[in-house]
Amino acid sequence: MSFDITKMIDLDTMDFLVDVEAPEIVERFHPGQFVMLMTRKEGERIPMSVMKAENGKLTMFIRKLGKTSKELRDGMTRFENVIGPLGHGIEEKVYGNVVVVSDAVCGQAENYAICEALSKIEGNRITSIQTFPSKKEIYPEDYLTTELVDKHIITTEDGSFGEEGSYIVPLQKMIDEGEEIDFVFGGGKLPTMKAVSTVLAKNNIDNLFTTRQMMVDGSGMCGACRLYIDGEMKLACVDGPMFDSRKVNWDKAIKRYHMFKKKEKEANDYYEAHKGGCGQCQK
Amino acid sequence: MPKIKPRIPMGEQPPMERITNFNSVPYGYTEDQAVEEAARCIQCKKPRCEPACPVTIGIKEMNLLIAERKFKEAYLLVKEDNAFPACSGRVCPQEKQCEGACILEKFDQPIAIGKLEAFIADWGRTHKVEVEEIKANNEDKHIAIVGSGPAGLACAAECRRYGYAVTIYETLHKAGGVLVYGIPEFRLPKAIVEKEIEHLEEMGVKIELNHTVGQNIYYYELVSQNDAVFLAMGAGAPKFMGIPGENPMDNVYSSNEFLIRANLMKAYKFPEWDTPINCGNKVAVIGAGNVAMDAARTAKRLGANEVHIIYRRTKEQAPARKEELHHALEEGIIFHELVNPIKFHGDDDGFIDYMELTRMELVEGEDGRISPKPIEGSTFYMECDTVIEALGTVPNRLFLDRAPDIERDDRGVIIIDENHMTSVEGTFAGGDASSGAATVIKALGEGKRAARAIHAYISTHDTSHRQEVQRVEV
Ligand SMILES: Cc1cc2nc3c(=O)[nH]c(=O)nc-3n(C[C@H](O)[C@H](O)[C@H](O)COP(=O)(O)OP(=O)(O)OC[C@H]3O[C@@H](n4cnc5c(N)ncnc54)[C@H](O)[C@@H]3O)c2cc1C
Ligand code: FES
Repeated sequence: MSFDITKMIDLDTMDFLVDVEAPEIVERFHPGQFVMLMTRKEGERIPMSVMKAENGKLTMFIRKLGKTSKELRDGMTRFENVIGPLGHGIEEKVYGNVVVVSDAVCGQAENYAICEALSKIEGNRITSIQTFPSKKEIYPEDYLTTELVDKHIITTEDGSFGEEGSYIVPLQKMIDEGEEIDFVFGGGKLPTMKAVSTVLAKNNIDNLFTTRQMMVDGSGMCGACRLYIDGEMKLACVDGPMFDSRKVNWDKAIKRYHMFKKKEKEANDYYEAHKGGCGQCQK
Repeated sequence: MPKIKPRIPMGEQPPMERITNFNSVPYGYTEDQAVEEAARCIQCKKPRCEPACPVTIGIKEMNLLIAERKFKEAYLLVKEDNAFPACSGRVCPQEKQCEGACILEKFDQPIAIGKLEAFIADWGRTHKVEVEEIKANNEDKHIAIVGSGPAGLACAAECRRYGYAVTIYETLHKAGGVLVYGIPEFRLPKAIVEKEIEHLEEMGVKIELNHTVGQNIYYYELVSQNDAVFLAMGAGAPKFMGIPGENPMDNVYSSNEFLIRANLMKAYKFPEWDTPINCGNKVAVIGAGNVAMDAARTAKRLGANEVHIIYRRTKEQAPARKEELHHALEEGIIFHELVNPIKFHGDDDGFIDYMELTRMELVEGEDGRISPKPIEGSTFYMECDTVIEALGTVPNRLFLDRAPDIERDDRGVIIIDENHMTSVEGTFAGGDASSGAATVIKALGEGKRAARAIHAYISTHDTSHRQEVQRVEV
């Protein structure tokens, strides 16, 4: 199978939008599920959120950090492999008053997929809160959830657009104003998820958040993605990727996220040193 | 005592050299060495080795043919009973099977049957010996196989010989099961496995990679689209100790994760290959089976200064292949017997720092079974920067959760009858999936036997009427 990249748009200073041909996966995809991506034969199996799955193509946001995005920028035209869909999707049903929140590249993708699915179901009232670092990182209108939802809020971490702070600020305001929230979906940065989990616990709001865990196989064979939900070991790839944020041990999850930090830098440096084709590195 | 010619020693990379690379440890017999070794076989009237072989290879005749330099005939003979001799020759626990039963074992010099098997397999492969294969055309009948480990591959080969249209569904991006993701390169070169699989594809077996049955293709779909289904998912989910401090602590791996990173994802070639692995300087491997030895020896090759095996029983009780344990010790791996970790302690960043352990003693229980028990007050500490838990594996519930019709025991091991059929008519199972973690050769044998049962079933039943199964999706 060929996983041709059919579209690549530079969204802002932080992320790319990529369309890849993967009809088999598209056919079976449910919002909330994820895929794994191998850019090349020697590639890592990288878990990826999906923004859209239609017309045989998967749309993903890819952060311009790390090696993968450099490969993209350097003209990669196809992926070696796209695997999925993996994990559980959300239940596509009437939730009532739903809030969908996100503050990082992966979360923005899930946010879109979830808003799109739930907006098609009569009886859902959706508020989407999307947080970006600053004004210049806000996605173009087409890739925001503005048109899909009843209420769309943008916040920026530095306050250069919209409200200042994370998605918790408007969420807290909604709660304070006495709005009945039936369900919250979310994803993005782990520390924000940890912070929001206490807000949701305090107000007893049901929710599902995508835990960002490192993965290797994505099908329950390695245990790399294990996390503790109410003290019980679960696998993000098989049981997740979404869990009730109130039950997740976030401190462990956050620490674990940095396990390969040093290695990432090494991979980057290696790529930078070897991509040029000068042959110097072969000597 | 009769004079027994000693075994022809196998050339090997010296220990201090081989821990710096991932190349095969044994060099393999040369033709002359193989001939000489095979000629040591005394050609027993009633060979004890053959019944001790899970796939009853004609060992006696193989030895004779090799001794007579009839390599091609020897190869064809072995292939008749075993589709993947290059693999089993290298990884079988021969000391518990053929070589353990060899009459010369009494003099501590059994015929090196495994090494001869590997030799003849390599000879046949490099000399491109054609094996007469597909016996009939039954391509209107379809067989789906779940999993491409030894059980799935052996079943596929045999079903294809009967002429059926065969498709293997494999969740990973590479076929071979434990042979490619678990057992390291230095013990079983991946090029050999790849060749065997290529050959299968040339025979017409279709392999659908990246297909996780129960996730992106469902069991009920396989049942409705095929005349028979063979379940060979192995028992590939990791077990963890479940002791305090583990919840996931950095640089504490399951052996599966460590080995998948190292083998399948080639983390030992990082950063040329993208998948990273953190392997520190002082590594503790918990367990003493093949998996533990593989993990320990891999850690050594990844540059660890000290690698410790932590085992709650004695060295003699270690379930690993004899050769594995021997190789590990040669490579400087330190074996601690009768000890067990009880707590992991991490540093401020969440990385493992040291372990708390207790000493163990073997105690006879009321049922007469001897088992290790902690010795009170014997707690001690051991510094380490990497821990690999090699405690064995269990069936992966991903598939089982979405195939409720398949009866299994409380460990998740699929229950089969004497014809390898599961509780669903037309669905068969074999290998670790239906036996619990076992061996490559058992999986190969069961795959083949199941294929025969499938052939018998399809030949005698109207498979167009299929048993209804529940449609469970994610
Ligand atoms: C590190 C290690 C070292 C070992 N060393 C030895 C040794 O030296 N000698 C020996 O005899 N035995 C050894 N064993 C045991 C031996 O490898 C197994 O007993 C044997 O591989 C079992 O074969 P199998 O075909 O049943 O399963 P596996 O080899 O486990 O293959 C199962 C396959 O199914 C796939 N799969 C699982 N679930 C699904 C699904 N839902 N959909 C699609 N595909 C799926 C898996 O990805 C895998 O490829 C070792 C095992 C390990 C882990
Ligand atoms: S990624 Fe391996 S078990 Fe989840």
